[in-house]
Amino acid sequence: MNNRRRMTLFNLIRGCAAILMALLVAAILIFISCDEPWLALRYLILSPVLDFKETISFNAMSLYTIFGNMIPIMFTGLGVCVMFSANEFNCGGEGCVMVGAFVASLCAIYIPMPGFLHPLFCVLVAMLVCGAIMLIPALLKVKLGASEMVCTLMLNYVLLYIVKHFLTNVFADRSRGQTQTLRFLDTAQIPSIVVRAKLTWGFFIAIACAALIWLFMYRTRWGYTIRMLGVNKLFSGYSGLKVGGTVVLAQVVGGMLSGMGGSIEMLGRYTSFKWNSLPGYGWDGMTVAILAKNNPAFVPLAAFFIAYLDRGCQLMATYCDISSNMIDIIQAVIFLFFAAEQFLAGYRQKLVVKGAREELLAAEGGARA
Amino acid sequence: MDQSGAARAAMEEQDVVVMRGITKIYANGIVANKDVDFSVRKGEIHALMGENGAGKSTLMKMLFGMEQPTSGEILVDGRQIALTSPNVAIAHGIGMVHQHFMLVPSLTVAENIVLGIAPRKGGVFVDMQKALSLTRKYAQEFNFNVDPNAKVMDIPVGMKQKVEILKALVRGAKILILDEPTAVLTTQETTELFRELINLKKQGYTIIFISHKLREIMQITDRLTILRGGRSMGVYNTREVTEQEISRLMVGRDVVLSVQKEPAKPTQTVLSVRGLSYTNDWNRKMLDGVSFSVRKGEILGVAGVEGNGQRELVDILFGLGRRPDTGEITVNGKPIVGLGQDKLRAMGISLVPEDRMIYGIAANATIEENVTSDRVQKKEFNHGPLFNMKALHKESDRLIEEFQVLCSSRAQKVGMLSGGNIQKVVVAREFSSNPTLIIADQPTRGIDVGATEFIRKELVRLSRAGAAVLLVSADLNEVMELSDSLIILHNGKIAAYFEDTSVLTDEIMGEYMLGLKKQDDAQIGRVCHE
Amino acid sequence: MSDFLSMLWQTAFFFSILRITAPILFAALGAVVSEKAGCSNIGLEGIMMISALFGALSSYWTQSWLVGVLAAMLVGALVGFMIGFFALKLKTDIILAGIAVNMIGDGGTQFLLYLFTGMSGNTSGLTTAKMLIPTVKIPLLDKIPVLGEIFSGHAVLTYVAFLMVLLLWIMLQKTPLGLNIRAVGENPNAASSVGVSVLRYKYIALSMGGALAGLGGAFMSMYYSQSWNVNMVAGRGFIALAAEAMGNHTPLGAMLSSMLFGLAQAVSIKVAGLPGFSSDLVSAIPYAITILGLAIYAAMRISRAKSVHRIRVPKAMR
Repeated sequence: MNNRRRMTLFNLIRGCAAILMALLVAAILIFISCDEPWLALRYLILSPVLDFKETISFNAMSLYTIFGNMIPIMFTGLGVCVMFSANEFNCGGEGCVMVGAFVASLCAIYIPMPGFLHPLFCVLVAMLVCGAIMLIPALLKVKLGASEMVCTLMLNYVLLYIVKHFLTNVFADRSRGQTQTLRFLDTAQIPSIVVRAKLTWGFFIAIACAALIWLFMYRTRWGYTIRMLGVNKLFSGYSGLKVGGTVVLAQVVGGMLSGMGGSIEMLGRYTSFKWNSLPGYGWDGMTVAILAKNNPAFVPLAAFFIAYLDRGCQLMATYCDISSNMIDIIQAVIFLFFAAEQFLAGYRQKLVVKGAREELLAAEGGARA
Repeated sequence: MDQSGAARAAMEEQDVVVMRGITKIYANGIVANKDVDFSVRKGEIHALMGENGAGKSTLMKMLFGMEQPTSGEILVDGRQIALTSPNVAIAHGIGMVHQHFMLVPSLTVAENIVLGIAPRKGGVFVDMQKALSLTRKYAQEFNFNVDPNAKVMDIPVGMKQKVEILKALVRGAKILILDEPTAVLTTQETTELFRELINLKKQGYTIIFISHKLREIMQITDRLTILRGGRSMGVYNTREVTEQEISRLMVGRDVVLSVQKEPAKPTQTVLSVRGLSYTNDWNRKMLDGVSFSVRKGEILGVAGVEGNGQRELVDILFGLGRRPDTGEITVNGKPIVGLGQDKLRAMGISLVPEDRMIYGIAANATIEENVTSDRVQKKEFNHGPLFNMKALHKESDRLIEEFQVLCSSRAQKVGMLSGGNIQKVVVAREFSSNPTLIIADQPTRGIDVGATEFIRKELVRLSRAGAAVLLVSADLNEVMELSDSLIILHNGKIAAYFEDTSVLTDEIMGEYMLGLKKQDDAQIGRVCHE
Repeated sequence: MSDFLSMLWQTAFFFSILRITAPILFAALGAVVSEKAGCSNIGLEGIMMISALFGALSSYWTQSWLVGVLAAMLVGALVGFMIGFFALKLKTDIILAGIAVNMIGDGGTQFLLYLFTGMSGNTSGLTTAKMLIPTVKIPLLDKIPVLGEIFSGHAVLTYVAFLMVLLLWIMLQKTPLGLNIRAVGENPNAASSVGVSVLRYKYIALSMGGALAGLGGAFMSMYYSQSWNVNMVAGRGFIALAAEAMGNHTPLGAMLSSMLFGLAQAVSIKVAGLPGFSSDLVSAIPYAITILGLAIYAAMRISRAKSVHRIRVPKAMR
């Protein structure tokens, strides 16, 4: 067994350990707060896919719901993958989801189009707008060296309030009690696969997108440049790769993906725009990207994991006396341990030494033979 | 025999520091010191000399407790001690002034001096009056001209160095180690420093002075120890040796790896540098009117002790963060100052950088990604928007094989390879792009013999195939064996040009490298081939 | 327009600037300490949320505002220390560690609130007068017409916030602790070469930064909005980061830029009440100004660097 396989194995073990840590924290919280901790744990861990009514059975509808909930966080996760790969800590996914959803909604209400083209057009406009918005932090970073992170954190609020302004003052449907827009034209809806679970074709678009972004990151010169920039910026410059342009590219692509996520979420699972605050998908996307180690290929898996836990928390909240916001604590713990380079470092050192020793023995054995 | 033994014992009595049989082997297997004996008498200025990589810094780091010897013993004031950390060394009265200053820029001189041992007032506050008076007291006692209230970031380099020395003195150092103290100083500052060092000596302090500047050594030291290739070449009284002898002991070749090469048949000029000057951020002129040309089919060596402008020259040639004050640089007649690396590479210029881990590779990326980084934009490796993976795989496999990179596959992370193989990855990329001009900066530093030999052969092969090669190396053996002709840099100027390296000896090289001799301008000017 | 100006030109308006500035200032000072030790703590937002919650809860349990404030400080310090543990010991990227803390601050606090009280969304049902940070009238100042109206009658913590600017400056400039923190941040090698433990002072600075942000949190839940609410901090922790950067990493600079943002927010609150203004657009102003300030600061820094370069190497620029 060579050291590379050993390291892969180690990374796998470490990932699992991080997840276990998170579940452990969850379990502790549950035991503190709940009279029936075992029941709560069952809801958290098993109920998302199993039904316990009389006999234990597979709960397909719940699984579809999880799939449905994966849609937006897959997109934001992909966006974060692209941006974090370039070492750009852009946190603007949140605002882009909001704007993307809103812009797509407007197109869906006011620009009539034939059925198939309409959602496509709406999503495209959302992507373009969000890509353009991300030019702000990207250019400020490249031209002035301003922190993209602080800038995008502020930008999220600016975008939120701009959207709210247009929603309440310009596009609100006055006939309704709640602040919301007019209904989307039917042509603009992204069709559902399973209506009750709110699972739309957006799911497959997201999977396809993960594949496309993987291709982009690992099979094109632009993705290559983005990744190299993240590994060693000086090396990129010295190799003749375009550093400034790539910083911009990564953030624009990231913004477009988040916008896409927001618009597909809105057109697929709502009939009119009524978000009043930031939906939180941008932050979830960060957890997804951290879990996927910035590799788009793992994004669906990571998104499934988060959506599964989220569903578990929801069920637990419904049937036991625990707040569903526990998901945020679980996510934070995963986040902390998954990104911890030195977590289990002692164990890794042992593995490396063992590997080196084995190789030495093998070399000696070979020499003797 | 007895007598000399007794004499030696008597001698040792005056020795404040004795290092006996010191061997240091680093974790990566590099042997920095081999059975070195080193001793310093009380109240002397003792020079520790040697080329870069001779093991001076390692030896001194062990004396200052920053490294531990693999074997051997260290005696301070006649008692054997284990120097496990700088704090232990400080407690035994040893202080060190590092080449890169250990100062906090936004703190004042006095604050830096008392950092970590600040006098207190009322339990919580720094007693600034005490800190100031302490600083003033020491500064006056040793006649150091420093302003205790000035912020360190605002004072000139020479003063920063004084602050460093004061820092050591305030902490009770009786033995001062100065690591190449004059490397960053102007002439006046150097003179001032020497006056102060002699003053310290008179007050009974012992000074160990690391340097490779002959003039300074002759001027200020009492005795000197010369290291070469990690071994001691002996201890001498400065008055009793000549500069020529020192130079011969210091500069020399140990192992000779000879490379077979046909005589060069240089044709037209490829790289032309004219009147290149560069002043660094500390206002020190690192390059001063350097002019030379490199022709197609030849290897021009740039020799010299490190820090004489080589790094600045290479950075400017490849546009890495420095721009010249004045001067013209052209490649095949086209000016290149201010061009980006993509343009430079498109013109056929490639660079083997001095520090491979900083510029040369992306350690956390695969061999394939590293070895093709300069050519992924090219048409032959792309099908429309997508990479042509087959072509990329084929190219990297070809390069891995041709350049004999030892690895499990092209998908291995470069950071996991050994130093020699990492350098082969760099070289594979830089040598395979069909370059018209290769700049090779210390191409074989710190790598194993096999890889070294391979890289040297490749350089010769490429030059004979028609590339112009500029070889910058502090390794005398390398630069003399490989170069068809060579220039020697000293103090940012070309000190000598040798059209034919085969007539050169180590002694001649040493005299020019250490600034004992300088050719006339007419001879140097011939390197321009005009 | 002149109506509008005269509306701003009132003592109540200036009073409100100070009130609004205080929580941002606390967090910005927290950012200053951490940054001085070379740690970028972007978890301040989360720390404020968490401390705000624990401050409110502790004061409810003990019916003492002082205990609440102290608890908020302590919790803030603990979370700061935790960021240090992950970033320094386990080598989690400190930015990611900060993001994780913000996640806890966002949803985790709601979980904890429900866990402790069974309430969700806010604690307004718990609030009693004893739990709120009291306001103080400053004896003599109170009598002076304009000044008294602006500067007297603030909450205790408002005064503490501005006092902290001075205290922090003294700590950083005049105490061994401050010297060590600055040394560790600027040149860790220099610090460790004289026996100053780099890790130790980074932990201390992160904890102090956390405690300061914790005070900001307490101010929010125990005075500013009189109870703990979801999203109540609303980006003040992030604005503080920008204020710290714009304030050139000094307590005084952080105070001035915090006041600039306080002013922007005070104006937007005033304007939001007027007919004809969109309250939403107006709410965006402080954040937009922060971005603008960040950009201007960055541009100034670049041009300053260039001018320094020009003096040093005149020929290179020609």
